[in-house]
Amino acid sequence: MEKLRTAMDFCIRHQKILGYSIVSLLTAASEYIFSSVAFKCPCNSWNTVYGCVFLLVPAFVLFLLGYMINARVWLLVTGRCSPENQCSCDSCGNFRKVLMPVTASALVAPFTWIAVALLSASFYECAASRSSFIGKLVCRDIEKPVNASLEKIPCDKELSEEIGKFCSLQAQSQIAGWLLIAIIMTLALIATCFSRCFSPVSYFQLMFWKIYLKKEREVFEIKAKDHAAKLAERNVHFFFEPADPAPFWTPRNEDWQKISFPYGFNTKEQHYSMIHKYVNTNRGKASSEDQIHTVLGFVDEAHASESGF
Amino acid sequence: MDGFQTMLKFFINRRTAIGYSFMALLTLGSERVFSLVAFRCPCSNENFRYGLVFLFSPAFVLLVIGYFLNSKTWKLFTGCWVNPRKIFPKGNICHFFYIFGQITLNALVAPVMWLSVALLNGTFYECAMSGLRNPAYLDSICRNKSVKCFEELHKVACGKSTMPFSESEELKLTLQAQSQILGWCVIVTMAVLSLLTTCCASCQSKVSHLQLMFWRVYAEKEKEQLEQTFQLYATKLSERNLKCFFENKKPEVIPLPAFQAWEDASQIYSFSSSKQHYSTIHRLVEEGQKEINEERETTLEFVDRREIP
Repeated sequence: MEKLRTAMDFCIRHQKILGYSIVSLLTAASEYIFSSVAFKCPCNSWNTVYGCVFLLVPAFVLFLLGYMINARVWLLVTGRCSPENQCSCDSCGNFRKVLMPVTASALVAPFTWIAVALLSASFYECAASRSSFIGKLVCRDIEKPVNASLEKIPCDKELSEEIGKFCSLQAQSQIAGWLLIAIIMTLALIATCFSRCFSPVSYFQLMFWKIYLKKEREVFEIKAKDHAAKLAERNVHFFFEPADPAPFWTPRNEDWQKISFPYGFNTKEQHYSMIHKYVNTNRGKASSEDQIHTVLGFVDEAHASESGF
Repeated sequence: MDGFQTMLKFFINRRTAIGYSFMALLTLGSERVFSLVAFRCPCSNENFRYGLVFLFSPAFVLLVIGYFLNSKTWKLFTGCWVNPRKIFPKGNICHFFYIFGQITLNALVAPVMWLSVALLNGTFYECAMSGLRNPAYLDSICRNKSVKCFEELHKVACGKSTMPFSESEELKLTLQAQSQILGWCVIVTMAVLSLLTTCCASCQSKVSHLQLMFWRVYAEKEKEQLEQTFQLYATKLSERNLKCFFENKKPEVIPLPAFQAWEDASQIYSFSSSKQHYSTIHRLVEEGQKEINEERETTLEFVDRREIP
């Protein structure tokens, strides 16, 4: 039991990394299933379109799914263009600052798909096997075999081996795949370093902050369920009973709006969440000195475990 | 126990995504079963009709089942013959189409999944298009092939044509490639459309993200409370009735909501930004049994979806 508990704690502490790893594994597994079961290169003039569709379209779909599942998008977007908040560009700068890390995390699955697809080589081989394409771009030194159509390469093993002596499409694909992985990893490291470098709080305060948010979220869920249960019981009771309803206070729409802004850090005050800020400033508004920092994105993600989707 | 609770909570928080994945797997499984067990391409002039029926009829059946299972459909249509004003309220003719549009979008998920899985598999499309007698299409498919292609294309799906094996194999692969490209196009189009509509709806939402989360919890609690109260009052009323029947006594008065109150409570919920009401029952209790002014709706579909069908 103790060991299980330790394992669970480990999982919960590193849940972001574990989440990304699981997404990558699932993407890799489904790419393997697709390329072995569904993918059949037609070996004619449709090769390029077919190969490119299988390489790029699933990546685009995964990118869109990444946006839909990310809770920070819905926190930012919900209610921005309603009749009450006129659609203005005051908060456009904040919009960009929040959207960039969200886009970066939505790009994990698509790049995994493209990288794994390039490593397995079948999609690239199919897309690149067109006579004009091979002759001009991919294999410059090749002497074209006279009586064979290069479009048949993915279907004809002998032709593929013969061409492979001069120009191996599989090797090119795998080199491209590894290069992509290396570039993405380097960019991710540089971006994380930069965002940590520009972080306005220290390492230990960040740790405390994450633990505080976890606790605040747990208490929020318990209190929300409790409040909802009491309100529901009171409403249903007075629907059936012919009596005047007892007054029941619930946070107003404006109060909810105030705690639903993306979290902005202010060096003068020490607030660990929008609810903390709201309660401390006596139900005040977000001030113009609040700045959005990418490293503090976890503040918004803590409260929105399920997206609006 | 604690770890188990945490894991359960993790899955409950992601129940939408898990639900959709389960539906996708179910669609995949049943499509496989259909194409292996029930589908036999006739390889004659009937190919086109046969293939299209297998492609679109299950989609239509899934759409109808989607309508049946959505409780909002029954909330909209119950009693509409007796009181047409219910679905076409004064000055708000578009109300019905707006709600019906929402219900249709929800019901379209399963048919679109079926279509995309069927197209990615390729069997139904291959059978259908090999029976299409359109001259332009035949010209494009049978280009650079023998003359027999024009006559015997419909036999290619069963492998019974007299063309050389490589040619019929290439035709089969081309048709499958077209089908898979079309399938990916359907998936991408649906993903883009659903992201855009969800974004637009969220953007114009009059309530903030956290308040929407609280609202969902309230809607669930109210549904539980309603069921419990229905049980309680039904038990009380039936006990009283049967007691008076068997003991020949005068019945004591049990206050129950009037007919108009039930009608008012059964209306589809429409949000009013000036008030703070989380459901029709909440509004009824706060404002009494007055005429309810309806403003323009927002996408608070989960408020009605969770009601008892």
